[in-house]
Parts: sequence; C-alpha cells; structure tokens
Amino acid sequence: MSSAAITATPAGTAVSVPPLRRSWTPKWLRVGFLYAGLWVAFVWCVFPFYWMIATSLRAKDELFARPPSLVPHSFTFQSYIDLLVGAEFWRFALNSLILTASVTIISVAISVTAGYAMARHRFKGSVALPLFMLYGQMFPPVLLLIPFYIQLRWLGWLDSLYGLIPVYLSYMLPLCVWLMRGFFSQVPHSLEDAARLDGCTRWQAFWRVILPMARPGIVAVATWVMIHTWNEFLYASTFILSDKNRTLPLGLSGLIGQYTTDWGMLMAGGVITSAPILLVFFFLQKHLVSGVGGGAVKG
Amino acid sequence: MNARAPRNQQLRRTWSSVFETGTGARIYPYLMVLPAIIIVVGVVVYPLVSGVMSAFYDVTLRTLNSGDMAFVGLRNFERVFADPSFGIASFNTLVWVVLNVVVQLSLGLGLALLLHRAIPGIGFFRSGILVPWVVPSVVAVLTWRWMYDPSVGIVNELLVRWGIIEDYHPWLGDTATSLYAVTVESIWKGTPFVMLLLLAALQLVPRSILEAASMDGASGWRKLWHVILPQIRVSFAIAAVLTFILTVNNFNAIWLMTEGGPLNSSEILFTLAYKYGFQRYDLGMASAVATMLFVGLVIATTLYLKLIQAKEGE
Repeated sequence: MSSAAITATPAGTAVSVPPLRRSWTPKWLRVGFLYAGLWVAFVWCVFPFYWMIATSLRAKDELFARPPSLVPHSFTFQSYIDLLVGAEFWRFALNSLILTASVTIISVAISVTAGYAMARHRFKGSVALPLFMLYGQMFPPVLLLIPFYIQLRWLGWLDSLYGLIPVYLSYMLPLCVWLMRGFFSQVPHSLEDAARLDGCTRWQAFWRVILPMARPGIVAVATWVMIHTWNEFLYASTFILSDKNRTLPLGLSGLIGQYTTDWGMLMAGGVITSAPILLVFFFLQKHLVSGVGGGAVKG
Repeated sequence: MNARAPRNQQLRRTWSSVFETGTGARIYPYLMVLPAIIIVVGVVVYPLVSGVMSAFYDVTLRTLNSGDMAFVGLRNFERVFADPSFGIASFNTLVWVVLNVVVQLSLGLGLALLLHRAIPGIGFFRSGILVPWVVPSVVAVLTWRWMYDPSVGIVNELLVRWGIIEDYHPWLGDTATSLYAVTVESIWKGTPFVMLLLLAALQLVPRSILEAASMDGASGWRKLWHVILPQIRVSFAIAAVLTFILTVNNFNAIWLMTEGGPLNSSEILFTLAYKYGFQRYDLGMASAVATMLFVGLVIATTLYLKLIQAKEGE
C-alpha cells in the first residue's frame, strides 16, 4: 500500500495532502460526461446493426428513396419472404449447418484428449507442443490457401463441403488444443487422485471424472469453433465453385449483383445469418469472454 | 503412481487397464495427443512448408496440369518486385496496419476505461458495444457497403445533414477515400475485441493502488498515465500484436467492399497475393507475397509469445 502510494506520487511529497478528488469538476458533470461518452460509443457500435434490421424491414420502393430516412416509414416482411421462398437460401443454410456441425464435433473430440494430455502428463514435447499449437493459429491464411488449393485439386475435393473440413481444421484445431489445455489445467489434481484411489484406471478417471468437470470449458471451445466455422468466408469462397455447395456467408456475398443489388433481401439474409451467432453469444457470454481472457484468441 | 501400484492390481480389469503399467503407461500420453498431431502435421505443417516452397517454383495452372513445376529460384520474388502494384500494396498495407492498430488501441482503451465502472446500466452499454465483435464479419462488411452506397447510403445522408460534406460522395469508388472508408469499417469491427482484452486487464488492477493514487491527489490523466497504464502494459502489448495480426489477415473487409480497387487504391498485400493466386492463377507469385507476409507475422508472433510468457511469469 505505502509503496504503491510512493510510486504514484511524484517525489513522495503529497502523502499528507487530504483527499482532493478533482474538486474542479462537480460530480454531476462528470457523470454526465461519462453517460454521454457511453451513449456515443453505444450508438456508434449498434447503428450499423440497427441499419441492417431497418433495411431488411423496409418496402422495396422506400429502400431507394432519396434521401434515406433514419426511421422506416414502411414496415414489411417482404424481403424475408422473398429470401426464404427460394430454395437456395435453405440450401446454403443446410450446407453451413452440416459443415459447422462436422468441424465442431471433429475438432472438439480430437482436442479434448490432446489438451488433457498436455495439461496433465509429462512426455517428450509436453512443453513445446502447446506453444506450437499457439503458433499454428497465427499462420497467415493466404499462405496456406495456395497449398490447400493445389492439394484439394489433386484429390479432386475442390468444390465440395467435405473438402473444406480439413481446411477448417487447420484453422481451428491448434487453437482448440491450446484452449482445452488451459481449461484442463484449472481442474484440480485432487479430483483425479481421488478417482484413482477409488479404483478408476487413468482413462476412466479422465472419462468419468475430469471430462464432466471440464464441461464449461468444452462448451466454450465448441462455441468458438461453431462461430468461426459459421462465419468463415475466405476458404469457402476460394474452394467452393458451384452454387449448390455455397455456405451462408458465401451465399450472402453472391447476392451482390454486378449492376443492381437487392439490399433489402441481402440485409434480411444478414439478419438471419447473424441470429444464431447472437443467440449463442448472449447465452454463453460469460464462458466466451473468460475463454478470450485465458487464451487470447482470434476475433 | 508407484505407491498406488499394488492397489491397481486388485482392480476389475477393463480394456483401459492396458494403460496402467509398462509400455501401455508410457505410450498413453502419446496416444492421447496423436490424433491432434497427425491432423496438425497434415493440415498445418505440411501445407505451410509446401506453401513456402512453391514461392521458389514456377506454379501456374498450366504447370499444375502437366506436373512439371520447375525450380526458379528467386524469379517469383523478382517478378513481384517488378510489379508496380506491389509497391502500392506495400504502402497501403503500412497505412492500413498503422491506422487500424493505433485507432483500435486508443479507442479500445477509451472504451475499456468508460466501461470499467459500476454505474447503473453499464451491462446494457457493454452488451451494445460488443455487437460489432459478435456480428459475422461478412454480414458486417456488406452492411457497411450498403451504408456507404453512393446514391442512397445513410453515411452520405448523415454527413450531408451535419454539414460535413456538400454532396453525396462515392466513398468506396474514389481512389482517394476507398482505403480509409474500409479502414473505418475495420476499426468499427475490431475495437470491441481490444476493449474486451483491456477491460479484463483493468479489472485485475488492484483497487487499493487506484485509491492510494486518488488519496494522494493524482488527477485523472496522471492516474491513467502513471498508475493504470503501467499496470496493464502487458495486456496492452498483447492486444497490439493481436490487432496487428488480425489486421494483416483481414481479407473480408477489403475484398467484399472494394476487391482492392479502384485502381489498387485499397490493395493490401493479402488481397494482392489472392489476386495473383486466384485471378491470374500464378500461384508461385502468390506464394512469394504470402511468404513475405508470413515472415513479418512470425516476427510479430514471436514477440507475442514472449509477451504472454512474460505475463504468465508475473
């Protein structure tokens, strides 16, 4: 305490000064500034989101009225109906769903055991491997893009959803292992010891005791994979060529026309694409944020 | 483990008992990490090596089909350096990275300081400010593209209404503004994440230090500069390096708004490499650019890992 006070006070002279508390600005003014700042930041951050929803709910003729008005005068679900009546959008959604589910299941299943072994066991490479995993996360996608392209071409897996699975694993798996290791090292050793004393084998102790304990961490990692796979655009847009194999982000970008774009429909698609992510996020906010703090993750 | 060995002998044997003793026990951890290692070697290490290698080979669609890729040494790099758009893209990358990192970090710090208070309604503001981070990047970029629309975009309308510009401006279609217009979107999208990292750090600053500083009459700015910033400096540095990496790799924002155009005015090295690779199908040249980016990123990442280790050591 006293040492902190000294570092904070130039030359240590002011120690005996009574609390000043910035008397030159009244408290109500400071609180006023604070709220003003918060509102500015809030509006700045939320406005594009609002604008997307507002656009998706406008009538077509109002979309291209000049000047645009901040509050919609018309209110219609026409854009959503247009979007959902066509079979294409459902197809994109189904593709995204299949891809997201497969990548999530595979990467969680594989990273769970690896993360656990790295957190609990000592073996050759138990120190270097996790660091390597963190490095793996940082490799620029554009460098991997080219060999992936050559490889997928060679395998004949271009333009297929299953071809994207290994590509996405390269993008997600290293990070998953790193995060899992972090979560497992937080589970107390004593639990495992108790299970072993009660006659569990090492595998049983892991499977029946540690895994259920680490469930919040696993959920967080799974959510991370889901969100990133759902949103991924670069690899999908490079490797998917035909319409029927498009994922949602790809389908959305495909709605941009050369000369005209139906922005109402596009924004409606944006709302629908964002909805699952927003839902997942606000339900799991706590886990995700702590995951970020623990592992410092790609945004 | 050895002390408990006699106990284990009384156990009911299951398939997993194999891993309790002898060779089984020794290979157990390796078996646990093996699937992950195999996949990482297959989908990260191998592509990485072959990616760097193809920077030194003549790889185009034609040579890919015939299978005779010749070693060309530094020819790909020479051709990249001879291309005038490489110079433009390098300069743009510099502007893009510096603007993004500086603005995102200062805004992120400002937001974190604003939100680091227990006042009524703070949860509401915090959730709202996280919205850009949560919205899928493609959706965010397309929304901004719509907002920048040269004839009916809301950005133009608001700026005209506030008297900042006279008439509607094609922000993304003008070579003078395209890069900056995309930068605004990227800042909007990236700042909340920086805020989150810094907020987490701020919450770890011991209250007693801040109180001591206030007691001693330190003003707001002095407290920020001499007390708060030194306390969160490691997190701040981590946020800076992360923002750097994310910005260099930010493809979606530029590609979906301008595709690097008009006239390369918003081209960064990433999009240039992408164009070499997947529009001209000169994969050798693309790899050369990507390899240069990679070297820059490795340096940044090494720095980043050093910082993390410093933090864990604290």
